[in-house]
Amino acid sequence: VSVTVALCGQPNCGKSTLFNALAGFKANTGNFPGTTVEYTASEVVVGDHVARVIDLPGTYSFSPQDAAERVTREYLLSGKADVIVAVLDASVLARSLEMLLQVLEMRIPTVVALNMMDEAERKGVVVDVPALERRLGVPVIPTLATRGLGVVQVAERAVEMAARVPAPQEIRYDRDIETAVRELTLGMPAGLAESLRAPARFVALRLLEGDTAFESAAREADPGFLELATRRRRELAEEHDLPEDAFLASRRHGLAQLLFDEVARVVPRRPRSWRDSLDQALMHRVYGLAIAALVFALLFLLTFVVGDRLASLTGKPFDALALLLRPLAEGSFGWALVKGLADGLAGGVGIVLPYLLPLLFAMVLMEDAGYLPRAAFLVDGILHRIGLHGKSIIPFILGYGCNVPALMGTRILENQRDRVLTALLVPLIPCSARTVLILALVAAFLGPLYALGIYLLNLAVVAVVGRILSAAVPGPSLGLLMDVPPFRVPVPRLVLQKVWFRIRQFVVGAWPILIVASVVLGAIEYAGISAHLNAALSPLTVSLLGLPEAVGVTLFFGLLRKELSLLMLFQALGTENVAAVMTPAQILGFTLFVTFYVPCVSTIATLVREIGWKWTGVSVALNTGIAVVAAGLVHLVAG
Amino acid sequence: MTLAEADVGATVKIVSRRKGVAAHTGLAGMGLQIGERVVVVRAAPFRGPLLVEIPAGNIHVALGREVAESVIVEPAEALRP
Repeated sequence: VSVTVALCGQPNCGKSTLFNALAGFKANTGNFPGTTVEYTASEVVVGDHVARVIDLPGTYSFSPQDAAERVTREYLLSGKADVIVAVLDASVLARSLEMLLQVLEMRIPTVVALNMMDEAERKGVVVDVPALERRLGVPVIPTLATRGLGVVQVAERAVEMAARVPAPQEIRYDRDIETAVRELTLGMPAGLAESLRAPARFVALRLLEGDTAFESAAREADPGFLELATRRRRELAEEHDLPEDAFLASRRHGLAQLLFDEVARVVPRRPRSWRDSLDQALMHRVYGLAIAALVFALLFLLTFVVGDRLASLTGKPFDALALLLRPLAEGSFGWALVKGLADGLAGGVGIVLPYLLPLLFAMVLMEDAGYLPRAAFLVDGILHRIGLHGKSIIPFILGYGCNVPALMGTRILENQRDRVLTALLVPLIPCSARTVLILALVAAFLGPLYALGIYLLNLAVVAVVGRILSAAVPGPSLGLLMDVPPFRVPVPRLVLQKVWFRIRQFVVGAWPILIVASVVLGAIEYAGISAHLNAALSPLTVSLLGLPEAVGVTLFFGLLRKELSLLMLFQALGTENVAAVMTPAQILGFTLFVTFYVPCVSTIATLVREIGWKWTGVSVALNTGIAVVAAGLVHLVAG
Repeated sequence: MTLAEADVGATVKIVSRRKGVAAHTGLAGMGLQIGERVVVVRAAPFRGPLLVEIPAGNIHVALGREVAESVIVEPAEALRP
């Protein structure tokens, strides 16, 4: 690797899309701010170089208080990046320039990717690219990352720029600020800028903005110097009649607006586009919520209808195979393993993938079109009643796909309390694995209305638990503050790539576990161990929940992957026609238990990483408790 | 008055931020700067958030009630008809 390129920019400006266009589909994307929560890195061949490209989480500015923004800034200042590709959303150019000004102050070689040129055009923003290039003193390349346009040029220019010393800062603040900056750079204690790995001018500006991290470094180096910086900040703020923490940002805002007026103009656009009309309906006070309910009901039905069709198609050959293997498996250990293998394969192709595919497809469409921020806007008022705010709905919706990215998505919540609350509720949301189970058991044997009932019951439980938790977990909630990006027509190629990306996560990450576990189950069944396990679990399964003893082992293995519970249920019962051996109440109780109890080991591992051991313990107890109560109640009422 | 009190459809100018409230640090970075003119586009149901447009930047931002209550505004002339 010869060059390290860091992509940075404001949230939802298309960094990850650009990254994927360069590196192949490796990073998650979506039309909502905060999709990227972790660095993704990839090696990319650019001409005769191998470049390491880093996709950083988006930042609106480099404000000192925000943890995510500090992380990105620290990476950029760490010296690991040889060159920065600043991705700007051309459709909100003035605001993007504000952030770019701060990036340029770091004096690292920079290339600007002027992205979303199509959206800018639609909004009537016309950018004079050569003029912008001249004013900034860095290369500016128009891009359309969704179609891969300009992406290669950006990479080539970045590699080229890596070796160069950046041009001196072209953009200056008002004279009074520059005077203070000069005074501070001249009086700066030796070694301070070096220890922060930042240019002296950048340090001076950060101190004038009241950056706490820089302030503590300055205090350590020379308390007198920090005092001088604080005094200058106060004087300047008073002079401009602005709050101390806002004045420099406000001047930078003015500077960016000035720059924007120089290099771009806005031509009047058509008064109303279909996007406005769509927003008018989807974000309407009354219709908006009704449409949302309808959309989700349709999504559920579509997943069931399409999944059911596909499953009966792909499952058939395996049914025949299972019939053939069953008598053989009873007589020989070898054949028992082969049957386990076949069952594992059959489960993936015949049961999981058919339901997973339509669900993922629908979710990707919703994410890419930009529906999630609108949903957040609509339900903010309702979520307030349970002590959360609108942004929490984004992890919740993602949770219907998979709880793991949903938990990582809780990072879009700025406040620790909101994050913990949301992260405790996410594991209650039935992910695609549990949806497969609900559809293949309850919808198939008891009817789709029962399945819909489970989802509604689930929502009610989430609401009640949320209400209780928010009363129990103290701390202030900051409230909603969120960009609402325009609707975008999902690009078919990107949608397919993204669905494939997620399907592959199942095929590579989960299916092997399913197969191995299925083989193991074949072995322990042959050896008669499963009977012991079932007997050990029978106080819970039989006495408390009224289920057949044979399901014990399936619940145990379900801890690895929820799909396993279903496959093993078929295996343990010896049939896919569950209704022949279980009563409707047992099917319902089993499904409710699996829906609510601890999702899977990956979710637990993610919980530990995101909110720590203590809260993970709370989450596990919560899930298990609710599962036992729900399934136990079914047994009490129906049994 | 605060942004939360502004009518839907009104254009207002941000004057200051209320002190002493658990304030969002992100306001300025998202384009809601002091001195900026914004239009209240719509309000969500159940005392939900406001959708605010910043015409100068072509930006739409959703602000929860409590966030909107921390932003002091004054009536302003519309930028465009």
